Amino acid sequence: MNELMIMLFAPLIAGFIAWALDIRGIREIVGVIGAAVPLGILVKYYPTITSKGTEGIVQTINVGGFHLVFQLNTLTWYFAVIASLVGVAMAFGMASTSKNSYEWLFALMSYTGVLGVFLSGDFVGFFLFWEIMTFASFMMVLRRNKHESLKYFVLSIIGAYAMLIAIGLLYAKTGTLDFNTIRQALYMDAMIGSISRGEMALIFGLFVTAFGVKAGAVPLHVWAPGAYSEVDQSYTTFFSGALSKAGAYGFLLLYILMGVKLVSALGVWHNHMLFAYIIAWIGAITVVVAGFLAVLQEDIRKLFAYSSVSQVGYILLGLGVGTPLGIIGALFHVLSHAVFKGLFWLVVAALILRTGKTKFEDFGGLAEKMPVTFSMALIAVLSLAGIPPMAGFASKWLLYEAAINAHMPLVAGAIFLGSGLAFAYVVRFLYAVWFGQRPSDLEDVKEAPLPILIGMAVLAIPNIVFGIAPGLVTKYLNGLFSEPVVTGDYFKLVTTNGTYNALLVTILLVFGLAVAGIVFIYGAKTRKVPVTDTYQSGNPVTEDYNLSMRRHFYRPLAEALEFWLRYSWDRFYERLAGLAEDFADTLREGIYNGNVQSYAWYLAIILLILALWGVL
Amino acid sequence: MFEWKLALEAIGMVIYATFMGFIFMGIERKAMARIQRRVGPPIYQPIIDTLKLLGKKESVSHGFIYDFGPVFALGASIAALLFIPLANFQLFSSNADLIVVAYLLEVPMLGIMLGAMSSGNPYSAVGVQRGLLTMVAMQLPYGLALIAIAQYWGTFKLNSIVALQQLHGWSITVPALLLAFIVFDIVFQAMLGLEPFDIITAPAEISMGPMVEYGGKHAALLFTQHAVQLFAETAFFAVLFLGGASNLLELLIKQIAVLFIAIFIASIYPRFTIDQAAKFFWKWPTILGIIAVILAGW
Repeated sequence: MNELMIMLFAPLIAGFIAWALDIRGIREIVGVIGAAVPLGILVKYYPTITSKGTEGIVQTINVGGFHLVFQLNTLTWYFAVIASLVGVAMAFGMASTSKNSYEWLFALMSYTGVLGVFLSGDFVGFFLFWEIMTFASFMMVLRRNKHESLKYFVLSIIGAYAMLIAIGLLYAKTGTLDFNTIRQALYMDAMIGSISRGEMALIFGLFVTAFGVKAGAVPLHVWAPGAYSEVDQSYTTFFSGALSKAGAYGFLLLYILMGVKLVSALGVWHNHMLFAYIIAWIGAITVVVAGFLAVLQEDIRKLFAYSSVSQVGYILLGLGVGTPLGIIGALFHVLSHAVFKGLFWLVVAALILRTGKTKFEDFGGLAEKMPVTFSMALIAVLSLAGIPPMAGFASKWLLYEAAINAHMPLVAGAIFLGSGLAFAYVVRFLYAVWFGQRPSDLEDVKEAPLPILIGMAVLAIPNIVFGIAPGLVTKYLNGLFSEPVVTGDYFKLVTTNGTYNALLVTILLVFGLAVAGIVFIYGAKTRKVPVTDTYQSGNPVTEDYNLSMRRHFYRPLAEALEFWLRYSWDRFYERLAGLAEDFADTLREGIYNGNVQSYAWYLAIILLILALWGVL
Repeated sequence: MFEWKLALEAIGMVIYATFMGFIFMGIERKAMARIQRRVGPPIYQPIIDTLKLLGKKESVSHGFIYDFGPVFALGASIAALLFIPLANFQLFSSNADLIVVAYLLEVPMLGIMLGAMSSGNPYSAVGVQRGLLTMVAMQLPYGLALIAIAQYWGTFKLNSIVALQQLHGWSITVPALLLAFIVFDIVFQAMLGLEPFDIITAPAEISMGPMVEYGGKHAALLFTQHAVQLFAETAFFAVLFLGGASNLLELLIKQIAVLFIAIFIASIYPRFTIDQAAKFFWKWPTILGIIAVILAGW
C-alpha cells in the first residue's frame, strides 16, 4: 500500500468511522488513532528526508483524468509534521471537550485537507484539498454560529475564486499545473519576458488575496476572530495552529514557483524585491493592528483569535524579508506559533469546559484550582511573550536579525511594537483568569480532564525542547538552501553578525534563580495569607466586593488610541455587506414585483435581444 | 572543561554590581533630595534598608507564584547582567547579542508582574496595567533606537559594538546615532521608572503599584533586583552609546553620568498620565527614531 496515501486519508477515514459509529469512547479512540497515524508515518520518513542527495518522495495517483502529484520533501515534510503534531494535540483535546461525532468528522476532514495542501505537487490537488480544508472548517463554524460562518464563507469564496483565476491565468501562460514545470517555465520566462508586468502583477495580487484570506492578513482578517471563537476550542488549536499556516505555505509557494519571475517583472525597490517588500509590509501591519486589537478584547477567545492573526503576521513578515535568514525565521515561527498558540487554545478549551465562561470579567483565581493547566498556560505565555529560552524567542530572534540585516528598520520596529503588545495581552490573560479574587461560582472548579492535559503536554514539550535546542530546527531548515544559513550547534544559533546561545541563557537563568532562591530560602519563614488580606489603606476587604480589575483592563490604551479605533475593517465590511443587501433588495422589489404583465415584458425583451443577436 | 576563571569573574561581577547598584540607588535619592533642597538620606541607606528587610522575622505570602515572582525577577536580572560586556570583563557577552540582552532586560518585569498579580491587591493590578502599557508605549522608540545602532555598526554583538566604537569614536558622535541616543535617553526614564514616566509605581496615587503588597524578604529581593537592574541598564546604555569602557572605573564614571542625566530630568518633570505617555512616546521619540534608523541605514 501507498504510505503517503494512508497518511493523507487516515484522518478522514477515522473521521468517517467516528461519525458512523458514534459510540462514546470508541469515537474518541478512533479519532486519536486517525490523527496519530500521519505523525507516525512522517516520523518514520525523517531519515529518508534528511539524508543527503534525496529529492524526497513523489507519488502520483490518477483521479478523473488528472494526475495528482504528492511529494514529501524538506519543506513539505516540515509543514506536514507541524500540522500532524497539532492534529494529535487537537484529537486529545477533542476527546475531552467534544461531545459530538459531527465535530469529529469535520475536524478530521480538515486535517486531511491541510495535509493534502502541504503535500500536493500540482495545482489540481492543491486547490482540491484547499477547498476540502475550507469546507470542513466552515462546517465546524456553521454548527455554532451562522453569522460568523457566513463571514468566513464569503471571504473564503473570494479567496478561492481569486486562486482559481490565478491558477487559470498561470495555466493559460504555461500550459501546465504541475509545480515543477510551472517553476521551470516561469524561470525561463524571466529571461524571455513573454508574460507582461501587468499580468504578473495580477497573478501575484490574486494569489496574495487567496493566501491572505487563509493566513488572516489585515485587511482580510475579519473572519478570523469570529471563526476562531465560534468552534470547539480544541479544534481552534488546529484551526489557528495549522490551518492558518496553509496561507503562510501559500506565500512561500509564491517564492518557490515564481520568485524569479516576480522579481524580474515587478522589479526592485530600494534594494528590496518589490513583491517581497509588499508581503513584508502586509505582515508588519497585521502584526501591529491585530496586536492592538488583541490587547483591547474582553473575551478570552477573541483575545487569542486576534493574537493568532498577529502572530501569523510575523510569519508573513519573515517571508517578506525574503533573505534565506528571513525565510528560516518565518518557518521557525510557523513551528513555534503552532506549538504555543495550540497550547493556548487547549488551555482555553479546558477553561471553557470547566467553567462554561468566556468573558474575562467572569474568571479569576483559578491558579489554585487548576494548577496543571496553569503551568501549561505559563509555558505558553513565556513562549508567546518571547522570553528566552523558549521556542517563541528563538524564532522571533531570527526574525529580528533577518529584518535588520535586510535593512528593513521600520518592519523590524513593527516586530518590537508587536512583541510589546504580545507581552501586554498575555499578562492580561494571566491576571484576569488565574489570579486575584475568585468569583464565588468558581469555587468548585476541577482540574482539566486527562486527555486534554496529554494534548497540552504534546505541545508544551516542543516549546521547551526547541527553545533550549533551537539548532535542531535551524539545522533541518538549512537543508532548504544550498549553503547553511544559520550555523552553530544544537544549542547555539550563529548568523552572520549575531549570536544566541540558548543553553547558556538557560544555565545563567538557572544560576540567577539559584542565587535569588538561596536568599529566599535562607530568609525569614513565610506565613500564607488569603488573597483578601491585602493592603487597602485601611479599607476592610470582604468577599462581597470583588476588587480584581477584570473589565476594560487596558482602558487608558483605548483612550490613547481613540482616534484610530473609530475606524474598523469589520464595520467597513458590514457596511459593504449592508449596501449589497440593500441593492439586491431594490433589484428584487423592482424586477420581481409579482406583476404578471411585467414578467411577460421581460420575456419579450429577452426574445427580442436574442433575435437581434441572431440566436433565434 | 569548566572555566573557573570565568565563573569567578561572574560571581565577583554579580557582587560588585549589586553593591554598586545599591550605591546608585543611594545617589539617586541623595541627588534628588539636594535638588529639592532637602538633606536626604546617606548614600548607603538602600543597603541598610535591604538588610533590615532581610532581618524581618516573618514575611507574608500569597502563594507560590507570589514567592516565585521576585526570585524570577532577580534571577533574570542577574542573567541579563552577565551577558553585557562590562569594561575589561567580557563575561558571557560573546554568546549573546543586542536583541537577546534587550529581551533579557525586560524579563524581570514579567517576574515582578507575576508576583504583583498573584497578590490580588487592586493597587498592584493597576500597577501591572500601567507597567505594561508603559512598556507597550516605549517599545517602538526603544526598538528603533536599538535598530539604529545595529544598522549603523552592522553587527549585533555587543563586544563588536564596543570595539567598533573604540576604533571609530563613540556612537553619539555619529549624527544618526545621536538622534537614537536622544530617543534612548527618553525611553531610559521609563526603563528606570523615573519621572515623567514613574507611572508604574506612582507613590502618591497607587502606593508603589506592583510593590505595594511586598514586605520582608520579598521586598528585599525586589530591592536587590532593582539594584542589579539599575547597574545592568546603565552599563547597557554606556556600552551602546558611550563607547563601553576599558576598566571598571571608566565604566562607573559613564554609568554615573548616565544616571545623573536621568536624575536631573526626573527632578524637573511631573508625572504623565498613562495615555499622555503613550501619545508622547508615539509622537516625538518615534519620529526621531524613524529619522535615526533611516539615516543609520543610508
